[in-house]
Amino acid sequence: MSDAAQDLYDLQIVERARNPRYAGDLPEANLSGEGRNPLCGDRTRLDIALQGYHISQIRHRTRGCALCTAAADMLAERLSGCSVEEAQAVGVRFSAALVTQDAIEQVESPPEGTPSLGVMQPLTAVRFHKARIRCVELPWVALKEALTHVRV
Amino acid sequence: MNTDKTLKTTPAATLDVQAVRAQFPILSETVHGRPFVFLDSGASAQKPAVVIDSMADAMRHQYANIHRGLYWMSERTSDAYEAVRGQVAAFLNAPSHEEIIFTRNSTEAINLVAHSLGSLMKPGQAVLISEMEHHANLIPWQMLRDRSGVELRVAPITDAGDLDMEAYGRQLEDGKVALVAMTHMSNVLGTITPARQIADMAHAAGALVLFDGSQAAVHHRTDVQVLGADFYTFTGHKLYGPTGIGVLWGRRALLEEMPPFLGGGDMISSVTFEKSTWANVPHKFEAGTPAIVETLGLGAAIRWVEVIGFDAIEAHEQALTAYALEKLADVPGLQVVGAPKQRGGVISFTMADVHPHDIATLLDRNGIAVRAGQHCAEPLMRRLGLHATTRASFGVYTSTQDIDALAETLVRIRDFFV
Repeated sequence: MSDAAQDLYDLQIVERARNPRYAGDLPEANLSGEGRNPLCGDRTRLDIALQGYHISQIRHRTRGCALCTAAADMLAERLSGCSVEEAQAVGVRFSAALVTQDAIEQVESPPEGTPSLGVMQPLTAVRFHKARIRCVELPWVALKEALTHVRV
Repeated sequence: MNTDKTLKTTPAATLDVQAVRAQFPILSETVHGRPFVFLDSGASAQKPAVVIDSMADAMRHQYANIHRGLYWMSERTSDAYEAVRGQVAAFLNAPSHEEIIFTRNSTEAINLVAHSLGSLMKPGQAVLISEMEHHANLIPWQMLRDRSGVELRVAPITDAGDLDMEAYGRQLEDGKVALVAMTHMSNVLGTITPARQIADMAHAAGALVLFDGSQAAVHHRTDVQVLGADFYTFTGHKLYGPTGIGVLWGRRALLEEMPPFLGGGDMISSVTFEKSTWANVPHKFEAGTPAIVETLGLGAAIRWVEVIGFDAIEAHEQALTAYALEKLADVPGLQVVGAPKQRGGVISFTMADVHPHDIATLLDRNGIAVRAGQHCAEPLMRRLGLHATTRASFGVYTSTQDIDALAETLVRIRDFFV
């Protein structure tokens, strides 16, 4: 495979898609949301256990490509233990890292006070593959739906 | 001149792929530093130089609005535009060039029928489609159903991907079906449907029949009279022509009975603020300034296809499809979707647990263009128990080397993931 493809299919992503750590049901969930991509039929559902404004656990059920599955799993890991506000800030940062030209700078030296992408970092390689951005954003669509009625 | 004529009347049964490829400038491009391997002709075909040049020449030397100018340039452009109507009529063996309506694409042609013929349908009547329709031949009928109370029926397919003819017959039994609207070739499975039989059964049950020929018209000769069709649609951009130009053919008696689709200039006979009367067919259905340059491009594309000849095109694509099926069978974990009785140059497949989008991205990094996803046929995907496939589709310029590149790269992708 060529270099740019190797960036996108980073081993961490491929490994994560093969063996997701946060896949499954969450019986104690009190919020859930779903993202669907009509182009490919991919679907990811997030179950969230929210205590006050605190996300205690996330599980996902994803029927999707390697990028979508890895993104859902990394989202679950990154946001477990976050407040809703922090989760949203991570989302803003992630979106910026995917779409803007200064994405690289954003990723490498984010403005002070912005939360880190942590485990989600490898996903930012998708910025060079415009057609695939929707794949990694799908879990975030699900998150947004889950948090619709949560007012911070 | 003489040679040209010989070619047109007696097309060679074999095709020199390298000579054909040389006529497509884009095929010498590189993608990500690799030769461009284009296996997505089913979505849209590439364009030969003669089509590109014909459009540029029109804009350089022979262009003005049509049907209204009283000056030489407009008349000349009108003549060229109308000549393409004649060409298309011959291409489909339509009884009259006045039965040829230019639309934006096949989707618009089907929408035209759904609106216009649909407005003559009554609750209690039904439209019958199949499980393997492209959304273009599904959504317009759903919209008609929702606006007019006409029933929408769906004829099932077999697991092999053929229309279930017995079930189709049963759907026609109660005589309520006013129109059968079916694909002539599936964009996902490659299935070529038994059009004549479909039409005969429809007619025996008192129904009209429309064929969506978007895929079929590209791969073999189309004769709407032999097919027994009442309506037939195709699109220019899959036939090596430009985007923005499609065709609806309909039987004159039906077109005359149908009200206009869009209103505006060019489609009227007389206009007052109180009432307007409509132009004769086909102009009744062509409101506003049409895609003049694109129509001329379509004319050039049809001319080009006819010089190569459908005998040669069909033989080439059949051989290539057989070759591809054999090559793909050697890729570990690869499953071809469907095994229709008759297949055009379209192959959809899945590969072990590797998602079609991942396959498509990795193929692309190797210069290979395929389609991945639901192919605008979501209900068909559900019927097949799949949520997405990868699709390779072939054109007149597709070579065995293209297929080899696909198969070899698929093996490497599988190794990478599994």
